[in-house]
Amino acid sequence: MKRDLAKKIWTYTVMIVVIGLVALYSASYENARVPQNIFYDQLFCALVGFVIMYFLGKVDYRKFYDGAYIFYAVNILLLVFVLVGGRHALGARRWIEIGGISFQPSELTKLSLILILGAYFSDRRPKLPYGFFSRTQMIFWDLLIPLTITVVPMFLIFKQPDLGTALLLFGIFLVMLFATALEYRYIFGLLGVCLAAVPFAWNILKPYQKDRLLVFLNPNIDPLGAGYTIIQSKIAIGSGQIFGKGWLSGTQNQLNFLPERHTDFIFSVIGEEWGVIGALCLVTLYFLLIYASLNIANQVKDKFGVFVTVGIVAILTLQVVINVGMVMGLFPIVGLTLPFVSYGRSSFLIFIIMMGFLLNLSKRRTIF
Amino acid sequence: MRIKIIRIIIIGLFVLIVADLIYVQVIRGQYFYHLSANNRIRIVPLEGWRGRIEDRHGNILADRRVAYDVMVAPQGLHDRQGLFRFLAKVLDIDQKKLEKKYAQKKYALFAPVVVAEDIDRDKVIILEESKYLYPSLIVQEGFRRSYPLGKNSSHVLGYVGKINRVRKKRFKEYGYSPQNIIGYSGVEEYYDAYLKGGEGGIQIEVNSRGQQVRLLSLKEPTTGQDISLTIDSDVQQIASEALEGETGAIVVMDMDNGEILGLTSAPSYDPNIFIDAAKQKRISILFNNPSAPMLNRAIKGLYPPGSVFKVPVAIGALDAGKITPHTTYNCKGYYELGGTKFRCAHTHGPENLIESLAHSCNVYYYRLGLILGADMIQQYARQLGLGSLTYIDLPYEESGVVPGRRQRSLRRRERWYAGDTLNLSIGQGGLLVTPLQLVRMMATVANSGLEVQPHVIKAIGGTAVEQYDFKRNVKIKKEVLETVQKGMRAAVTNFSGTAHVLDLEELYVAGKTGTAQTSGEKLSHAWFVGYAKGEERNIAFCVFLEHGDSSHNACLVARQLLLGMQAKEIL
Repeated sequence: MKRDLAKKIWTYTVMIVVIGLVALYSASYENARVPQNIFYDQLFCALVGFVIMYFLGKVDYRKFYDGAYIFYAVNILLLVFVLVGGRHALGARRWIEIGGISFQPSELTKLSLILILGAYFSDRRPKLPYGFFSRTQMIFWDLLIPLTITVVPMFLIFKQPDLGTALLLFGIFLVMLFATALEYRYIFGLLGVCLAAVPFAWNILKPYQKDRLLVFLNPNIDPLGAGYTIIQSKIAIGSGQIFGKGWLSGTQNQLNFLPERHTDFIFSVIGEEWGVIGALCLVTLYFLLIYASLNIANQVKDKFGVFVTVGIVAILTLQVVINVGMVMGLFPIVGLTLPFVSYGRSSFLIFIIMMGFLLNLSKRRTIF
Repeated sequence: MRIKIIRIIIIGLFVLIVADLIYVQVIRGQYFYHLSANNRIRIVPLEGWRGRIEDRHGNILADRRVAYDVMVAPQGLHDRQGLFRFLAKVLDIDQKKLEKKYAQKKYALFAPVVVAEDIDRDKVIILEESKYLYPSLIVQEGFRRSYPLGKNSSHVLGYVGKINRVRKKRFKEYGYSPQNIIGYSGVEEYYDAYLKGGEGGIQIEVNSRGQQVRLLSLKEPTTGQDISLTIDSDVQQIASEALEGETGAIVVMDMDNGEILGLTSAPSYDPNIFIDAAKQKRISILFNNPSAPMLNRAIKGLYPPGSVFKVPVAIGALDAGKITPHTTYNCKGYYELGGTKFRCAHTHGPENLIESLAHSCNVYYYRLGLILGADMIQQYARQLGLGSLTYIDLPYEESGVVPGRRQRSLRRRERWYAGDTLNLSIGQGGLLVTPLQLVRMMATVANSGLEVQPHVIKAIGGTAVEQYDFKRNVKIKKEVLETVQKGMRAAVTNFSGTAHVLDLEELYVAGKTGTAQTSGEKLSHAWFVGYAKGEERNIAFCVFLEHGDSSHNACLVARQLLLGMQAKEIL
């Protein structure tokens, strides 16, 4: 049984990565806009990633419990450093360079947040609330402290600006909070407060972020500007029809109608060239991976493992659903990558590391 | 427990995604496939060449000549400054102007932009030799319409130009596209569907920046059909020369079969200027000219016929049995009705029908008008084709007006008076005809009642057009028409006849003059409508001079016309 889950995770991950590499090859094929070397870059990343994943499966994951707070603190420092001296690209400061290798601390935050929240939540002992004082204490320790832990990196990432990742962190927090024993009324109370704050949040958005949200509501407002991407992406996916146009033959892809097709819009390339069959295969693989991961949470005995698993499942699900929904026009364009498939070292490796964690968890659950 | 809820939510989200994928890719797949094809496929139209127009002897009236255009392809244009500096130097055009033109006309990277049209041959050679320096420079060989006769044929042929907004709308369903060259007025417009070349095009695949990626398919344009007209370019030239400096129209028709030999209207215009886009200014001058050179007076100009109308009145009175050819009335120089004196040109004394036609005596026709009545006059005028279209195969013909009791009461709610009948019987008083209608009427009279259909088409694409070769008998007695023929012949042969100048050797000429008064201070219109029977063929013709004063002027022009045709052995 335990071997089985680990094998499943290995299989699904490798299959998804391979599909991603095939799509990336097509997206960068004979093209000036997207250089071919990103394919080899990603291939290299994948090989390195699998090695990392294998070794992470061997390490005792409780070591990460010990390092969670330090990891988080370092990450916050990195985020601050990005804002101060990060590298500009595409109108945002997201990258920092260390020893010639550039990476995005915001991607790292996904992992560190899951770890620190898992560590924190697993430390809390369930208490029966009695009386006003203990209730207030509970709200403080079980809700406000983890919220603060989440909001600090959220704010720093939002400042980069990267609205998508910031909101994603909040999503992770909500799902993990949901997995604790906290009463529903506090969780939904928090959600209610957030919804009430949405109109105020509108004003702190940047103009292009507002555009994106408006365009999501009606892409035809600005078909050549902000709406162009989503229209072309929908055309690409839809025109794939059942069997697709064939590998390297997607016209939307090969003739450059799809912007950002090697990163955020890689799913459009798959939908166009492989049709509904290819798209459904990929989505099914994601579903099977997530489902298998969630089974780990059911079987892991210690709380840290459960919370980390739930966190990883949450981020995988959210990124897959939001990315696929985004390229099909179901969600606004928020700039979230498709796990294992989109080009991008930081994002790719972080997800591989998460899978390594899951492997680890699936193996060690019966030790106690 | 909570993990279970998370699992259900995850399943729900994935079901949503799968459902949407199936909706977008399977159910609406066709629609999006279409959109993606539209994204990448562009069609560059290639204009087909227009067919030639020839006259009856095969002389070219409208031709295509080779022209060279300079084009700049936006794709691969690197040294923009250098190219335009070079072009400006060679073509002797301001560099700024060239660049402005290029910027205005450029619409896609794959479509070359025409920056200079119809350049000289020596410049073509210079440009061709330096092409290797500028890869995006293209010297395109193309064709232009040319009209060898120029001004002399413009009103028959019309001209060609880019399709305008009105026609674009009207012809959209017939496969005309915005860049098409289309015929305007004359044969060019009437037979545009035949002359027009079949449009071809190249289908190319472009990328998101509009750069051509590959050629998908090519459809060669086809050449339009050649057309032969019944027009004789000699007649056309003689007629145009005869009208030089005048305002008016000449129509020459073969009275046996209705073939139009010549049709001119003066002043005229040169159709060649419409081809050159650089001559916009001259075109707008043409349209704003007060003497209306664009108006084809022969078929669209409406004028009172004056005394020419005495012919149908005489026919009517004879045919209805109101008078005999020997009925004689005395002309005192005027006719008095209700205290008003209706004048005659001279005091003719006693005149019979033949003499009245020869001398054009108004008094005689005042009396005929009264005994015949306005209704009968109208009836006979219509019988002879006045007041209705001749259906000649040229666009924008006018039908004219034959006034009568009914029209008067319907249109103006006024009564018809006997004085109106008198005015009508000498071709005044609201009566309006076109020169072409009078020619057809004259042919009917000369043919003793056989009406022909005027037309200019002879053959389309080598196939003779027979649709117009029909004749119709008018319901008028033959003897009546023969009597009137005598009267019209007398107008030429009598020493005192109004058209005696036309009494030519070896040519039977007959006809009727007309001097139509016009409103205001302007001079009268001068008419001569008649027919001539020569050795080669019989023609009916009309010479009309707008504000040409006396009909004698028209007779002089007619004489020049007939002599000219005789000299060319057309008659």
